[in-house]
Amino acid sequence: MQRILIVEDSPTMRALLVSALEALDRPVKITEVASGFEALRELPRVAYDLILTDINMPDINGLELVSFVKNNAAFRSIPLVIVSTEGSERDRDKGLRLGADAYLVKPFAPEALQQIAHDLLDRSRRRG
Amino acid sequence: MSAPQSEAGAAAPRWQDLARRAAERRNAEVESVAVRKLLTFVLDGSPYAVPVERVREIVRVRPITPIPRVPGDVCGVISLRGEILEVIDLRLRLRLSAPPSGRASRIIVVHAADGGVAGLLVDGVTEVLPVPEDALRPAAGTETGNVETLCVRGDRFISLIDLERVLRFDAQH
Amino acid sequence: MAQRPRKGRRGSKTDQEFVSEAEEILDRMRQDLADLNEERVAGDDVDPEVVNRLFRSAHSLKGLAGLFGFDPIQDLAHRVEDILDGLRLGRVRLQLPVVALIDEAVHLFAGLLEQIGNPDELAAAVETIGQLAERIQAAREAPAVESEFGELALDPSLLRALTEYEEHRLRENIRRGRHICLIDATFEIISFEEGLSRLTSAIREVGEVLSTLPAPGEAPEAQIRFSLLVASDAPASEVVSRLGLPGGAVRLVRAGAAAALAAKAPAGSAAPTAHGPAAEADEDAGLAHRDGAEAGEPESLKSISDTVRVDIHKLDELMNLVGELVIQRGAIGELVTRLSADAATARIGSDFAKVHKALDRKLRELQSAVLDVRMVPLSQVFEKVSRVVRRLRSDLGKDVRLELRGADTELDKLIVEELVDPLMHVVRNALDHAIEPREERIAGGKDPEGRIRIEAFQRGNHVVIAVSDDGRGIDTASLRSLAEARGVIQSGATLSEREALDLIFMPGISTRSEVTETSGRGVGMDVVHTNLTALGGVVDVDSTPGRGTTIAMTLPITLAIIQSLIVVVARQRFAIPLNAVHETLLIAGEEIQRSEGRELLNLRGEALPLLRLAAEFDLPAPPPDAKPYVVVIGLGESRMGLLVDRLDGQQDTVIKPIQGPIPAVRGIAGATELGDQDPVLVLDVSALLADCGRRRDAS
Repeated sequence: MQRILIVEDSPTMRALLVSALEALDRPVKITEVASGFEALRELPRVAYDLILTDINMPDINGLELVSFVKNNAAFRSIPLVIVSTEGSERDRDKGLRLGADAYLVKPFAPEALQQIAHDLLDRSRRRG
Repeated sequence: MSAPQSEAGAAAPRWQDLARRAAERRNAEVESVAVRKLLTFVLDGSPYAVPVERVREIVRVRPITPIPRVPGDVCGVISLRGEILEVIDLRLRLRLSAPPSGRASRIIVVHAADGGVAGLLVDGVTEVLPVPEDALRPAAGTETGNVETLCVRGDRFISLIDLERVLRFDAQH
Repeated sequence: MAQRPRKGRRGSKTDQEFVSEAEEILDRMRQDLADLNEERVAGDDVDPEVVNRLFRSAHSLKGLAGLFGFDPIQDLAHRVEDILDGLRLGRVRLQLPVVALIDEAVHLFAGLLEQIGNPDELAAAVETIGQLAERIQAAREAPAVESEFGELALDPSLLRALTEYEEHRLRENIRRGRHICLIDATFEIISFEEGLSRLTSAIREVGEVLSTLPAPGEAPEAQIRFSLLVASDAPASEVVSRLGLPGGAVRLVRAGAAAALAAKAPAGSAAPTAHGPAAEADEDAGLAHRDGAEAGEPESLKSISDTVRVDIHKLDELMNLVGELVIQRGAIGELVTRLSADAATARIGSDFAKVHKALDRKLRELQSAVLDVRMVPLSQVFEKVSRVVRRLRSDLGKDVRLELRGADTELDKLIVEELVDPLMHVVRNALDHAIEPREERIAGGKDPEGRIRIEAFQRGNHVVIAVSDDGRGIDTASLRSLAEARGVIQSGATLSEREALDLIFMPGISTRSEVTETSGRGVGMDVVHTNLTALGGVVDVDSTPGRGTTIAMTLPITLAIIQSLIVVVARQRFAIPLNAVHETLLIAGEEIQRSEGRELLNLRGEALPLLRLAAEFDLPAPPPDAKPYVVVIGLGESRMGLLVDRLDGQQDTVIKPIQGPIPAVRGIAGATELGDQDPVLVLDVSALLADCGRRRDAS
């Protein structure tokens, strides 16, 4: 079963992302963490197939997390989606330059998320 | 690759459905599968643990100077790199029998909730154990109330110490 | 605006999910906004962290409301977020209208959450806020031309991961001329959060953490490395040493203005990096320049080179090192004694003794030099007190003259810090309770203007700070009846005038029934007493009804190294600060006399009350035929004799606090290390004296 890591400090937002991903027509196991630090601790524990991260978070921000993932040989190939709110376009672009694979701007439709997740999980499977 | 921008109004009702499902699921489930790390140690032959994030360091037993006018489960003070720390005999604190400390005995220096530190004398330190949150069970009323949670490990239970309680001493003077 | 049917006033169950998180966000915003406004009013620098947190809150609220389709909330959040974004990026100035607007918006959010089913009710209010927000936006400063960071010696990968906000903070700190440095720290993955948070909070004491970039450590599966981009006023080297990191862990990315000034001022040209003669010549040129400079010139080079600001923690460290050396010297002394005692090594022993003596002398000099560095004049504290008195004077409408004497008296920096609160309390008491209102003073034939005098002077190894007022004095009769009513003393107990006055130091006693703002709620002189005792000091009170009160605080000049007498009771060693020891006697058991169950010694005609330390501390008593030693201790007027098994010489001791969960043990002031690892408890002489006195009263 493929694994998805959600990094997001808002519990409501986290729950929404989880519900949308659980409605994917493929089996996935979802782990939620509420901060970048937790993500750093979580990443080495199991092999993930997809990471979704917010940008504005308290300890380390989403960009710093993207930089960590994409500069680390062990995690570089995990597809990563930035989930941002409109208004942070500049930061989102920076995220893409750092190596993020896709972005979603809130508010977005569940289908948009599902489509992106689907594609990236396929890619992840082909890879690994 | 970029996401198709969608109309907020159109997206909203769908998210509402999803949110309802999420709420129901959360009510049904206990908690997500977060993992806790525990430092396990031995007291009187049984396994006990404290959360690893509360542990500052683990040191060998060194000379302990007794302090007068304190409860019997306080061993006294040690000197650690210039700091003077109180040490509590965890066996006595949990009302277990207390033979003298042996070669494997260690002092676990823990952080208290108020920012202070304290040493806990234990029979020996075992390991750092990652434990899924769902392996934790509330402990039924133990004799001293110093064990808050039991951690299921195969067919064994590890007793998770309630540090706040163990480190609470009421003013006596 | 999309309208959907709603059930009930607060919307459907799923809306509740949103509402409860939104309420949490609003709570956080209220708190942050209050902090922000406090800083604005105080004219302090705005904490960028608070503004950023507010921004994040509005941002989250906007995102959530958008997903749930709560358009009015989303719109409002969007406007607030815009303003906060301008604020955190330095394009909107923090002024009252901005704070008021955000405050108004927070109120409105709460209203909108209440009325989540009927957003139209508040449409007008949302509209008003929208207009306000537009006005603020219009006054927004155009974004400054943004410099690139090419000049910084920074890895581009780090710059790439900076958010827009972090870039702004970096620019802002460069503009302010702060030092920018990069700190690398590696942690174990399982416990990095604790180590990192310790590091960042230490950094926050001296500066700001601009960015925290994680990277895999050398062992990527077990370690994680963080690169922290830090801005600080103190130079990087100071940051490193304070954090106890290896030197290589910190790299200066950009020197701040202070360093730049030092580098540029002399030559007035491109930054000179030369050392040696050329640099000296430059310095001379700089001095010449200073002499010719007009008044009001910024800090001269001379002052930069002559004084060094030293962090008190560094001094503590130095002090500890000296303390350890002193302990080692003790160990060497023992070796010398052993060598000299043995005939085979007596010769080398006596040579060794000479060297030891020389070392001893130098060590004492070092000790006093280090102590001297820690000394600061009381003038800083006095200034603080005057400020408070000026403010209270107008608040209370009292006419009071403050006289300060001995502001140049020096005390250990640490003691000075600990002294501020008790001193302030005593002064406030005098202002608030002791000095009568103007009319009452005139009626009593006093100078309409009250007087409070603070006088400091050195007496031996102590400094006395006396606060006297010419107010109404302490009414011992009412103090006594209050103490009886509160059960502090037994009714009908006979107390001398002095003992009655001392009642003000008992917990729960205050001479006026109502508690006023000025003296702090319910905090009395007992706290002053406790704090001073903890510093090894004593506090005395003297008062004449109608004439005034004097509170005298006597403090040791330094806490650092003191001479102690080591005594042994039931094989356990205890240290007694030598300044409290008057003499020691070896007596025979028969010399101890009894009176009303208390033990006394006839000391040259005076009755010296005795206290058996073994009994006091529940330790095994010595055999009855053993000859006890009596250590005569005393502070101020009172004296007593401590019965101990054995004396074990004098030692230099550094009294350290005992850390741990046990509440302070009465009779123990702290602990000290003597040569070996094992800690020795230090007796609290003033507590033992007080207990002995109390027992006397009780019998």
